[in-house]
Amino acid sequence: MSIMEVHMNKYDKGLIISIVIIACLLYVPLWFYNQQMDKQDKQVVVEYKNEEILRVDLNKNANYTVKGDQGPVEIEIKDYSVRVERETSPYHICSVQGWVKTVNSPIICLPNGIVVTIEGKDSNVDAVIQ
Amino acid sequence: MVNITMLIAISILFQLIEASIPLPLVVPGFKLGLANIVGLIALYLYDPKVMLEVNILRVILASLLRGLLLGTSFWLSFSGVICSTFVAILAYRYSKLSIYGVSVISSVFHAIGQVIAVTVIYQQFLMQSILPILIILAIPTGLMTAKIGNEVKRRMKVT
Repeated sequence: MSIMEVHMNKYDKGLIISIVIIACLLYVPLWFYNQQMDKQDKQVVVEYKNEEILRVDLNKNANYTVKGDQGPVEIEIKDYSVRVERETSPYHICSVQGWVKTVNSPIICLPNGIVVTIEGKDSNVDAVIQ
Repeated sequence: MVNITMLIAISILFQLIEASIPLPLVVPGFKLGLANIVGLIALYLYDPKVMLEVNILRVILASLLRGLLLGTSFWLSFSGVICSTFVAILAYRYSKLSIYGVSVISSVFHAIGQVIAVTVIYQQFLMQSILPILIILAIPTGLMTAKIGNEVKRRMKVT
């Protein structure tokens, strides 16, 4: 008998196949749950130098203009995501960043002192396990 | 009795060695489960009672040695071990699974037990979203455990 041989009977193989199928099926409710969570009442919060200046729902398509240090900052909300459409800054980092739809990735426009974040009930960060 | 003590000592060593090996995988909670080899050997060389003894004493003593007794990681591995040991014993007694099937199902239930403990301790449910990945990863590690356990079982004679 060689060291690499694995002698499984048919029950073992059936068990492994059924475990794989069950694990794949577990993803179905999670997927639906995530879909629901994406559409739930999330809000866009715009801060200017740590002061909240605008708070709007993420589910309404709209354009807003807020005043930054270098000039007006235009924020566009569309299809449950948000972006900085136009702003004045040396490198345009925040408008290059594009559409954002998750809680964990804020749009930061440092020259203008503007931070755009999405707030929801849950964040996507798991607990840290040591 | 001496043999059982040796088994416990080996499994504690495995657990401590494994805790110091970093795995390059990003899935939290995924481990090789080297110590489960010893539990499996105890089940097949002796009986289910010995396996339960070896596994529970292993978890308690290993966390005592690392200085983490009754900490979070202790409860995580304790619930995983309880779950996997009872499922392995049930599968050993009441099913036609070979050593491979028993090992795979106990490894899968180890992951399930740990996820249940995480849910209870941290009060958050997003850990369940990696449960399917953990379950699928548990299959190859369970097979590896069974392969090593089988080789040991073949070579070792209980006196």
